[in-house]
Amino acid sequence: MKIYVKVFAYLRQKYPHVNDLNPLELDVDENATVEDVIKKLDFKPEEIHLILLNGKKVSKSELLEDNCTISLFPPIGGG
Amino acid sequence: MNYGYMGKWLKVNLSSKEMSDFDFPEDILRKFIGGKGLAVYYLWNYAKELEKKGVDLKEMDALSPDNVLFFSTGPVTGTRSPNSGRHHVMALKSPLTGSIGSGNTGGTWGAKLKFAGYDGIVIEGKSDTPVYLSIIDGKPELHDASEIWGKNTIDTTKWLQSKHERKRAGVSCIGPAGENLVPCAVIMNEIHRAAGRTGLGAIMGSKKLKAIIVDGNAKPQIAKQEEFETKVKEHVEKLKENGVTGEGLPTYGTAVLVNIINQNGLFPTKNWQTGVDKEAENISGETLTEKYLISKHPCWGCVVACGRKTKVELGPYKISFTEGPEYEAIWALGGTTNVNNMGAVIRANHYCDIFGMDPISIGSTIAAAMELNEKGLIPEEDLQGLKVEFGNPDAIVELTWMAAFRQGLGYWIGEGSRKMCEHYGAPELSMSVKGLEMPAYDPRGAKGIGLNYATANRGGCHVTGYTIAAEVLGDVDRFTIEGKAELTKTFQDFTSVVNSSVNCLFLTFALGLDEYAEMIGPVTGWDVTTDELLKTGERITNLERMILNKLGISGKDDTLPKRLLEEKMPEGASEGQIVELEQMKQEYYKLRGWEDGIPTPEKIKELELEI
Repeated sequence: MKIYVKVFAYLRQKYPHVNDLNPLELDVDENATVEDVIKKLDFKPEEIHLILLNGKKVSKSELLEDNCTISLFPPIGGG
Repeated sequence: MNYGYMGKWLKVNLSSKEMSDFDFPEDILRKFIGGKGLAVYYLWNYAKELEKKGVDLKEMDALSPDNVLFFSTGPVTGTRSPNSGRHHVMALKSPLTGSIGSGNTGGTWGAKLKFAGYDGIVIEGKSDTPVYLSIIDGKPELHDASEIWGKNTIDTTKWLQSKHERKRAGVSCIGPAGENLVPCAVIMNEIHRAAGRTGLGAIMGSKKLKAIIVDGNAKPQIAKQEEFETKVKEHVEKLKENGVTGEGLPTYGTAVLVNIINQNGLFPTKNWQTGVDKEAENISGETLTEKYLISKHPCWGCVVACGRKTKVELGPYKISFTEGPEYEAIWALGGTTNVNNMGAVIRANHYCDIFGMDPISIGSTIAAAMELNEKGLIPEEDLQGLKVEFGNPDAIVELTWMAAFRQGLGYWIGEGSRKMCEHYGAPELSMSVKGLEMPAYDPRGAKGIGLNYATANRGGCHVTGYTIAAEVLGDVDRFTIEGKAELTKTFQDFTSVVNSSVNCLFLTFALGLDEYAEMIGPVTGWDVTTDELLKTGERITNLERMILNKLGISGKDDTLPKRLLEEKMPEGASEGQIVELEQMKQEYYKLRGWEDGIPTPEKIKELELEI
């Protein structure tokens, strides 16, 4: 199935052209989880602090659905 | 003299030009620490004195000579403890809100005030002619400021450093906006750092005080030097290892928040009509870093360096050097206005810096004007041909400088959104609390920050109790209202400790109350516990609230704009949400020991505030 991935902050050092307006399109297996995508993109698990699946906060074990969008964030803050 | 402090506070009466030194007794220092805490203690006593003289505090004009400005540092400021160059500024009354005036700022000035030999400065009265204050090597002097009256913050700063032959001296000053008594005016230091909210710059302007220049070589004495050095090392290590303070903030600055807040659907857009900005990527921290960043710029003693030196290379908003913008400024000038043009945001933010205005209040008020205009509520003659429309970059740039010089519609922008929306007959379009424009997080997407906005003493403010750290950046459920009263209270009381210490709130991403006890203990020699510190924070929050009560502010003012309470978030990751404020507020009052926003006599006694 097809999914879309957006990466933010220093995760872009690996994927400099992937952003909110230009998500990465990926083909994944039917039972794929967020964790599978993180591995596929070659990120270390500890690099990922926050995962949004269609805007909803989820864990790494969350199952993906066709045409979903995942947003991956490292630890960030400010104010 | 007490360890950590310089042991001297300067009182200046600008009416009589009299100056004198004073100090606080040790028990008061321990009960209020410094910075915001001691300012609140001073303002409480000052308010009582005014009442004795027959001044009606509710009716008092914030720009009258009776108002007072209090510049303060704390025991940690200017030590080797990380990120301790900051200071706090307070006033009894804000010209923007009618509530208390308060601003905390980075830069170098706080540390340099201590090196000049003083912990803080009280400014009373009003001068007939423009003056500035210098404190060089422990010697305070008032000078004629007619040569710099009218100058922007860059020229003022350079003129003063040159005049006193101190190129590295700290300069706090106002720009033309403060001189013109614009209620959104700020006090700037190091040109680009602001005590930035509640209109403190207009109070300084009303007193005809253009600037305060400080420099010297004195240093605060540390009670337990060896223990202190060990803890400093440990704290710096923790800050470097933490993902937020060690990598996110240094690499992208505070603007790194644009995307994460927008992806969570709480990035207020089009004057808070929605929480989703479809082109926020164009004003994100990542874009700022890639296309506009020159280099990082740390405050004094900072190991994080979230400050940005920036430029706009091409186009109508070209500028070869400026600093910022921070996340909040980007959002206010470019997000809630739906402008999404980083060049225009940088230019408008630069105008805020050099003319001395608060970009949060200015940007938010421009967005409110855009919605007023969308609804046909601003007469053509007031618009003077300017397209005050969501998405128009020229509008934010033009209206920002017009606000500083009170030109055309800029007059109302500078007055803030509450007065402007009342003037144009739609007060509900002002997205403010207690008259202070709310910052860049829609509480429909994080309920705790809504309770914090509603109850924060200075008004719609995020840094009074930054629950976003737990609700969006941490693991707390952002939509539930359960537990948010306690979360908000704890954040607010801890923040009072930080702003009294005085150092940087960003430390709290990596350091908790334990580490604050580890800083304050060895510096002062006091055997402080985390319980004592949290109680101290609670004491400061309550005494500040007691001042608000004297100004006529209570439970009726602890609320949010109707839009957030009644209009469901229309789209995005926070779709369908409103803020269920009342239930959280009642639980919060119970935890605080307040009735209708007023501390009970029992709570006042418990906190030893029968003073």
